[in-house]
Amino acid sequence: MSKTLTSTTLSAAALALALGSALTLTTAPAVGADMEKCFGVALKGKNDCAAGPGTTCAGTSKADYQGGAWKNVPKGSCEKTASPTSPTGHGQLAAFAEKKS
Amino acid sequence: MTMPSPFASSISSAPNPQPRHRLPNRAGLGLKSQHFAEILATRPNLGFFEIHAENYLVAGGPFHHYLRRIRDHYPLSIHGVGLSIGADEPLDIAHLDRLAALLDRYQPQSFSEHLAWSTNNGQFFNDLLPLPYNLPTLTRVCDHLDQAQNHLQRRILLENPATYVEFAASTMDEATFITEIVHRTGCGLLLDVNNAYVSGVNHHRDPRASIAALPLAAVGEIHLAGFAEDQDATGAKLLIDTHGAPIAAAVWNLYAFALERLGPTPTLIERDNHIPALAVLLAEAQCAERWLGYAQQDRAV
Amino acid sequence: MSDQRLFAAALLNPDVPCPDGLTAWNDSDPTRRFAVYRNNVIVSLIDALADTFPVTQELVGEEFFRAMAGVFVRQAPPTSAQLVEYGEGLPTFITQFEPASTVPYLADVARLEMLRIRAFHAADADPLTPEQITQALADPTRLPLLQVGCHPSLNVLNSRYAIVSLWAAHQGIGDLASVNPALPEIALVIRVGLEVQVIALPPGGDVLIAGFAAGLPLGEAAGLAIATHPDFDLTAHLALLLRCGALSSFSLPTEVPS
Repeated sequence: MSKTLTSTTLSAAALALALGSALTLTTAPAVGADMEKCFGVALKGKNDCAAGPGTTCAGTSKADYQGGAWKNVPKGSCEKTASPTSPTGHGQLAAFAEKKS
Repeated sequence: MTMPSPFASSISSAPNPQPRHRLPNRAGLGLKSQHFAEILATRPNLGFFEIHAENYLVAGGPFHHYLRRIRDHYPLSIHGVGLSIGADEPLDIAHLDRLAALLDRYQPQSFSEHLAWSTNNGQFFNDLLPLPYNLPTLTRVCDHLDQAQNHLQRRILLENPATYVEFAASTMDEATFITEIVHRTGCGLLLDVNNAYVSGVNHHRDPRASIAALPLAAVGEIHLAGFAEDQDATGAKLLIDTHGAPIAAAVWNLYAFALERLGPTPTLIERDNHIPALAVLLAEAQCAERWLGYAQQDRAV
Repeated sequence: MSDQRLFAAALLNPDVPCPDGLTAWNDSDPTRRFAVYRNNVIVSLIDALADTFPVTQELVGEEFFRAMAGVFVRQAPPTSAQLVEYGEGLPTFITQFEPASTVPYLADVARLEMLRIRAFHAADADPLTPEQITQALADPTRLPLLQVGCHPSLNVLNSRYAIVSLWAAHQGIGDLASVNPALPEIALVIRVGLEVQVIALPPGGDVLIAGFAAGLPLGEAAGLAIATHPDFDLTAHLALLLRCGALSSFSLPTEVPS
């Protein structure tokens, strides 16, 4: 490793304090202000040997994103978030919060 | 031209010294992640479970966690959907290696694959694509099956396909083609009764005659599933093998016809789309078991 | 070109006519029958992407997502029969997909969702036990030299956007309308037991974990995190990592005499 990295190496004492404290913390029950977010995963297997939707047009339609369909911006939950580029972001926030309820 | 296959004479002559029991002559279900916990909690009375190999070619996590526990209590069938045995290019050796490791890990009673292709030029199409039935295809399929059976050190059950088109280049019918494959490679058959019905309707063939013309002594497993109905360009009925509906009455009847000729045979209820509650699938499995019971009685008479 | 090469080309490209040599018993136009295969391929692959990227889909809406996924599928079909890996290329595709440019955080949310899939299927490993940590603490002089092995499912994503808050709001945690997407967040993704967790890391946490992954000893990795983020809280980070089983081994470099 380079010398610049070595010069920032934390001391044994500081590490012992941090690791020892961390160990103590992990035995305590998780608190409400915890930053963990835990969710179940209901993931499906993706491979199977079934066929899809018959002769519907999905496989034969031309997904032409120069066409008119693509002039529309996405219409999903992103409409509920503030636009990071918009100077009126906070004004939109209030409006969208109302829309959501 | 074709070397005598080590798999041709009988199952017991397969080179792997470990005993390979057949699946029981009972009904089984496709294992779905939605049902993992319920299966372990309730241990339904079922003959076996079947998995799609490609869903378990992962390193660890919940899929292996649950499969390992379920395998402890049930016979297992592993069903490949991505080997592309009919491809007009070499088999993917890395894929075969991964399958071999999976088979070694779970020691399933059965391994099956499809008479189809799904890869070309490094791309995977996630569909079981159709083949012309002629000599060049036959040679290629047999070479690939020989290679796969040797690589995996076991007999493979080959599944008859559901198809939507036929080929001007075909020189023999499907049953003749499959019979020749079984003869040359010693592979077994997975008789998909729904596929036989779907292809029968789609190509105006009598599905009973198609089944009767197959080398039925090689059948090691049956598949049953539901289909959807569509139309071709003239408005003629075109059935789609969706595995997304209950098994149709006509397919149950064809199943009964097949059992009369086969005797009791391990039977899988396949449902891959619109997956209902486990109880719904167990009821279909029970229905298959009733037919298996009749077939057993017929044998006893 | 082989027949299968031609068949494959026509599957993906609706402008390519249905391959020659297809027949039907009633002499019907085989194009419509061939469409069954076209649909199976395109729709099943779009479905696979929709399964992997549910929040990405929610953000832009199902119609937009499926249309975008359709373009991606035709441009970059799977190269492996293991569909679980399919979609690794979607986030980068999104960054170049002009119609999605009004949602600048979309690609990073997709990256986060792909990491969740990877974590779900990653190899199993036992976390460090309290006994192993106590043992390490018994000889503090060695602590700076310890190499820390992370759980195989662990990944960190450093984003210019509030990807953890955005993602969590779609799980019913927090109000989406109160999330400012423009605030940078660092996501830690790890499988804990059978469940994948997404955790927001304070700045510097990414440096610490990248240090572990690069094989830096504990002292150097911690030192680097503090050097780049002076208010870095090592204790809190270690506690978090231990609590979610993110650390699975301590080892000393072999050249150090024991």
